[in-house]
Amino acid sequence: MNETVEKKSLGQIFMNGILDENPTFRLVLGTCPTLAVTTSVENGIGMGLAATFVLVGSNYVVSLLKNFIPDEVRIPGYVVIIATFVTVAQLLMQAYLPDLNASLGLFVPLIVVNCIILARAEAFANKNSALHSVMDGLGMGLGFTLAITLISAIREILGGGTFLGHSLFGEGFEPMTFFALAPGGFIIFGLMIAIVNWLSTKFKRSVN
Amino acid sequence: MGAFSDGLARGRHEFPKNAKNSFVFMCFFSQFTFFSLTYVFFYYIVYPIKHFYGKQVWKLKSLTFSGGIHPLAEQDWKAATKASPLRVFAPASVVIPMRQHLGRPCAPCVKPGDEVLLGQMIGEPASPRDVPVHASVSGKVVAVEERPHVTAGMMLAVVIENDGQDKPDPSIQPRSAAEVEALRPEQLRDIIRDAGIVGMGGAEFPTHLKLDVKGKVDYLLINGAECEPSLTGDHRQMLENGDLVVKGAVLLMRACGAKECVIGIEGKPDAAEAIQKAAEGAREVRVLQLKVKYPQGAEKMLIASVTGRKVPAGGLPAAVGCVVDNVSTAVAVAEAVYEGAPLTRRSVTVNGAVGQPGNLLLRIGTTFRDAVNFCGGFVGTPQKIISGGPMMGTAVAEPDVPVTKGGSGITVFNQITDPVTVEGNCLRCGRCVEACPLQLTPQAISEAYLAERLDLCGELRADLCMKCGCCTFVCPAKRHLSQTVDLAKRALAAQGRR
Amino acid sequence: MDGTLEKMYVAPSPHIRDKHTTQRIMADVLIALLPAAAAAVYFYGASALLLMAASVAAAVLAEYVWQKANRQRVTVSDLSAAVTGLLLAFNMPASAPVWMPVIGAVFAIIIVKQLFGGLGHNFINPALAARGALMASWPSHMTSFVMPGADAVSSATPLGMIKEGAGTFADVTARFSLTDVLTGRIPGCLGEVSAVLLLAGGIYLIARKVIQPRIPVAMLGSMIVMLWIFGGEGGLFSASAYAVLYQVACGGAVLGAVFMATDYATTPVTPVGQWIFGAGAGVLAVIIRLLGTYPEGVSYAILLMNVAAPLIEKLTRPTPFGVQKPAGKKAGGSAA
Repeated sequence: MNETVEKKSLGQIFMNGILDENPTFRLVLGTCPTLAVTTSVENGIGMGLAATFVLVGSNYVVSLLKNFIPDEVRIPGYVVIIATFVTVAQLLMQAYLPDLNASLGLFVPLIVVNCIILARAEAFANKNSALHSVMDGLGMGLGFTLAITLISAIREILGGGTFLGHSLFGEGFEPMTFFALAPGGFIIFGLMIAIVNWLSTKFKRSVN
Repeated sequence: MGAFSDGLARGRHEFPKNAKNSFVFMCFFSQFTFFSLTYVFFYYIVYPIKHFYGKQVWKLKSLTFSGGIHPLAEQDWKAATKASPLRVFAPASVVIPMRQHLGRPCAPCVKPGDEVLLGQMIGEPASPRDVPVHASVSGKVVAVEERPHVTAGMMLAVVIENDGQDKPDPSIQPRSAAEVEALRPEQLRDIIRDAGIVGMGGAEFPTHLKLDVKGKVDYLLINGAECEPSLTGDHRQMLENGDLVVKGAVLLMRACGAKECVIGIEGKPDAAEAIQKAAEGAREVRVLQLKVKYPQGAEKMLIASVTGRKVPAGGLPAAVGCVVDNVSTAVAVAEAVYEGAPLTRRSVTVNGAVGQPGNLLLRIGTTFRDAVNFCGGFVGTPQKIISGGPMMGTAVAEPDVPVTKGGSGITVFNQITDPVTVEGNCLRCGRCVEACPLQLTPQAISEAYLAERLDLCGELRADLCMKCGCCTFVCPAKRHLSQTVDLAKRALAAQGRR
Repeated sequence: MDGTLEKMYVAPSPHIRDKHTTQRIMADVLIALLPAAAAAVYFYGASALLLMAASVAAAVLAEYVWQKANRQRVTVSDLSAAVTGLLLAFNMPASAPVWMPVIGAVFAIIIVKQLFGGLGHNFINPALAARGALMASWPSHMTSFVMPGADAVSSATPLGMIKEGAGTFADVTARFSLTDVLTGRIPGCLGEVSAVLLLAGGIYLIARKVIQPRIPVAMLGSMIVMLWIFGGEGGLFSASAYAVLYQVACGGAVLGAVFMATDYATTPVTPVGQWIFGAGAGVLAVIIRLLGTYPEGVSYAILLMNVAAPLIEKLTRPTPFGVQKPAGKKAGGSAA
């Protein structure tokens, strides 16, 4: 599948994760945390960076071990590797960012089953060199972080009237709580996918 | 249901403490009340009214099918012509196409310069399944060439200049009543075939094939519904030639072996009366009045209205023991058998934007332009000329097409009543579903076709559509529903052939 | 003139159409809503008029701007946006701030209607979806009702009083009699107050053949049955006819049954499906009223049935004329 990727430069691999194959907007992977934790920008950034850390680590280790893991048990292998990094991330968060850890709650351990991480391990790290895999993990992770930060920024501003906890519009403003709730999350997510698709087709057309 | 709500009002105390028992009790009690009230209602109110107004009214209300529309409710299309008697008209020249039936075109057996007689065969059928074409005037053949045709675009036609004398062909010999009595069914069918008779309601299916039914035939239905909004030709035929209609019906019964004949008439009490009078001698012929509703005259609908039987999907009327023929066809059959005359003229309603709308008994091969000029000419500039009526008729490309055996009307519009508008969004109001006499879902079929889901069109049975146009007529968003369903039907047929 | 124009317009049949148009249908709905709108202005004064005007204007403007921006044919003149706007305003209490119907109308038109393909393609009722969004966003504004009259004394709705147990049923009826409930002299949303005028509008729509009576009859009927069985204070079947009628006349039941649940786009097109749809909406509404936390369940009941409508439609598709229904399984035969 990704045989030609080797020929791409590291910069291309990095940008691929952020733009062309943005895991949230283009591949539509990992939608569970995308919808669940994007009620505030703080949560979005925290979730994104935690996932990025796990993604880089697991991609690196999987690509190093790709010749040692038998094909039949590779998925359990990935899960063990990913779970290791998730544990590391969670312990670090509990130690240094207890508030964030509390507000993300269950979704930090759930990074283990985040399909972006499994998908990159299977589709990329399993076939590519360690350096490329790290770059891919970084690109994908930051793409994910950017995407959910964007969604959470919109949801926090519309649904809470704040940005990173700071009130934006003063006392009189009554935020549209709808956008902080699940249906609002779905609507914003769908709208963002539509806008990104629209922009990318427009961009491609103008390039051609 | 008075006791029901009284019980509600009094609350719980009146009933047994056990809720389940009280529920059962209520069920029985309300059922009992309901049935007894129904009984009282029917025996003391409905039946006396029915008796008072007589049977005829009752039948008018009940003889119908589900679905359908009422185009006459908005504009009485028939008002202009229904009182106008059939006027005989023979033009200066006729254009007789070589294909006027559902089948292979005939081969012309005359050449330019030949003198032909009225009723002389000028087109030879290609096989015994096809029917011949006859000269509808006497005179000189001036051309045998491609001419415009209503449905086929261009079609080989014999053009005859009328000498105005109507010299009959020697083969036309009347039969005596005794001779007719002695004819066997297959002889009758041969006479009908050789007279070139086809279904004159518009389908142009050879009548002798329709009459050749293998199984048992319970009913011969004579279609006097004429539900198409602007047509009144059959109405006039029934009024003026009621005896011929009944004679033809009896002959058709004999030809197909039917036990009983029903002449179904949509509304038109005067026509029903005339036919009833003409049918007094014939015991096995019954006249039934049907509810005024389009498409009452569609074969399947007529059978459903009269007999309550449903023609199976994809099947023929013979599958439910019925044969359906048009009133005009019955007249043509009577003339062919008693007079020996082939089919050379038919009743045509000229309606719409013309000087004097009316009914003509005109020669087959008369061009639309001649017929309209006979009826006072076009009013304004004609924009759309329809062979038939506005619901199922075919719009013709130019006014010089000839009337064929199935051409029951000429409807002229001098303004476009159905402009090629931009279709609105489907509202999903469900009017088309309710209007469809075949209980299809036109809106869903159209949607499936436009989404290129032909498999779904097949599942929704687009192939059954008879293109009555009810769905398009009622659509408030002015979507081209029946047209789209027809496209789906054709695409399915093409797929089936592959 | 003798037909010198040789070339004629050619089009497939049928060549005539009936008089119904989308615009006429929507205009009929607006006419049917007018009496109730007038009653709202009569009971609640200028604020009701302002809310309705703002809502309609915002809905129409949102549709116009969206279609212009997307270079689509502007279909504002079919009046469907105006109907959505007015229905949305009918779902607001008179005390609501004027920016609320504006936001709701934009939400209804752009997110619920146009993003799914415009008229006829929305999968849930736009006005009700907007009401749901506003309810989730500003519940305090959406549930602070005022008494009819100029002084705008705030008060709970009869249904709200029953729900909160603010008194026995007799206490509630002592405050607002059945006549008050039927004519609309009660606190409530703008459009739902006057059951009698709403029913008159419904009869007008049925007479004009804009809607079929199936859904309203099924919905109100099933509500009556459900309330009769479960609505009483003393167990099953303990509700009196008076109480049942009172509860059906209160709140949005009539508005919902006549104007919301009969929305073409979000209900089944099949006659049988419409009966099922109406009955389901009625049952759900009573379940939400009796067991849910909201005093009023009609809007959510209709929204839930909206989502089920495509399935109902698929299951109740009529058997075409002359097609033998294979006993038991239906899908297997046609697929082969």
